[in-house]
Amino acid sequence: MFDVIVKNGVVVDGSGSPGYRGDVAIKDGKIAAVGQVSGEARTIVDAGGRVIAPGFIDPHTHFDVQLLWDGAARPALEHGITCVVPGNCSLSLAPLKIADRQRLIGMFQQIEEMPPEAFTTAFEWTWEDFAGYREALEKDLSINVAPLVGHSVIRLWVMGPAAQERAATDAEIRAMQDLLRECLEAGAVGLSTSFVDVDENGRPVPSRFAQFEELDALCAVLGEFGRMLQCVPEFYATDITLARIDQLAELSLKHDIPTTFSPLFDTLAAPENAERAIARVEEQFARGARVWPQMQTRPIDISFSLLRPSLFFARLPRWVRILRQPLVDRLAALRHPETVAKMVADLGPDGGEAMMGRLVARGGDACPADLVGQSLSQIAKARGQAPALALIELSLENGLDVSFLSASAGHQSTDRIGPMLAHPLVHIGASDGGAHLSSFSTYGDTGYLFSEFVRKAGAMTMEQAVAKITSETADIWGLKDRGRLQPGLAADIVVFDPDSIDRGEERPAFDMPGDGMRYVRDATGIDTVLVNGQIAYAKGEYTSARAGVVCI
Amino acid sequence: MSLSRQRRFVTPGPDETVEELARRAMPDQPLEGAVDAIKSWNLHVFVMRRPPGLMLGSDVIFVEPPLAHA
Repeated sequence: MFDVIVKNGVVVDGSGSPGYRGDVAIKDGKIAAVGQVSGEARTIVDAGGRVIAPGFIDPHTHFDVQLLWDGAARPALEHGITCVVPGNCSLSLAPLKIADRQRLIGMFQQIEEMPPEAFTTAFEWTWEDFAGYREALEKDLSINVAPLVGHSVIRLWVMGPAAQERAATDAEIRAMQDLLRECLEAGAVGLSTSFVDVDENGRPVPSRFAQFEELDALCAVLGEFGRMLQCVPEFYATDITLARIDQLAELSLKHDIPTTFSPLFDTLAAPENAERAIARVEEQFARGARVWPQMQTRPIDISFSLLRPSLFFARLPRWVRILRQPLVDRLAALRHPETVAKMVADLGPDGGEAMMGRLVARGGDACPADLVGQSLSQIAKARGQAPALALIELSLENGLDVSFLSASAGHQSTDRIGPMLAHPLVHIGASDGGAHLSSFSTYGDTGYLFSEFVRKAGAMTMEQAVAKITSETADIWGLKDRGRLQPGLAADIVVFDPDSIDRGEERPAFDMPGDGMRYVRDATGIDTVLVNGQIAYAKGEYTSARAGVVCI
Repeated sequence: MSLSRQRRFVTPGPDETVEELARRAMPDQPLEGAVDAIKSWNLHVFVMRRPPGLMLGSDVIFVEPPLAHA
């Protein structure tokens, strides 16, 4: 007697091989049989001719905190994701001393655009060490989690405030090694670091103060376990990205570890960037190094209103400072003529036409209906104002609740992105799931992979796309029990319709702690999702199953 | 497969100044010119960063101009 049989489907087993008619049987959370399965089961899932595939794995997320009140990482799970990797970009919720919590919250707020209330109101923060975080996570998981530990928090633990001031001493590096080893033994899938991020005060994050020798010493510990180093490089600058690839390759070869960087960034403004990076990755792989570039599937569309800070203004420090103030102070600043004049002047002599003119009023908020869909350039011209001034005044006239969309800031060419995603050395990831809440939806990239790059562009077959986000991801990360429909492996399974799997329209949702808003995308074409053999999502509803684990 | 040549870079030592880095990385060059050159090749550190010129241990500092590439 099996526990579950998913029957009457097209088995796409994650290997990239063509699908075939068949069933998948499950016993004790594991796959027990694949093919033409006979026998009985307590539960039958009729796939109805749809695809039966391994659950998708998302290797670049920031669900660290959301998982503590939402063990399904909604809406990731309903998109077919059965395993997420949080703790990217040098930031994780452990190990962290109580005294450093506020400092870390500030970093998450600045870098990942998450409201501080998400860290202070939605769960009880009971741990300091990584094992304690794991225990808190595992209480209520519907999805699997392979957490990274952040270099910045390891530095903070050992060095305190000096982590953001100076290089580490030899003794401090040894202490960091010991701490990293403890985290890996407690279930961390690897270490993340950042070469680009700053905290809420504009100060570089702790990992950026590390000498290469410190990173090398930490990678020696990763080598004891064969685990991953993830980093975020200066992806907007080609030569620096190439230098980072070489550094990662050196660490990979020396310590026999996999490394990954995210994102691999493509923009028509610098079309050679991604191509040169891939060429360098090919050279390094030929030497035996493992340097996996992560590329996201979706175009980069950024939405914002003046209700919240946004990465759209990242290059305008005055705007960032003003928009980060409490609402009362922010309104006062935006109503102050001299301040506004300085803000407009920050945009240069064109008043913001180049940077802001192509913004489009999104609608669905307090924006006057007749302006929805118009560009800010059109709106400004009609008002006889500079675009930056029109943005501020239109926002003030409507309680700041006017959202603008900056569309296609990168990754906008399907013809360019498709072949790169299909490249055997390009790792599909970089979703940023759970972060950048009010800037864009970080959910639905897998649906978009099938709708845009399989069905529309034909850049890869459906089976290749499944392999990219299942077995290949599991192999890259060393997740030995996942990523394939194979007897003995964990029964993480998604049943989907290959003709309709997609992401829905981006829409605001008001389900977060604090000021509560984030952009999400609903799933289309996903029928059933099983995590470790239990049905976690079916027919549009989440179930009460809590079979997720911390996995490595 | 041999590696193609890439733009040469170094990483700063602990508390190293740009002058010390220039002396280390470009010992055959007059110091003032080497410092000016390094600053001009590394705008990400010496212009775009706040505060400008704050060198971090993890930085990539180029010690030659961009290479021509195909």
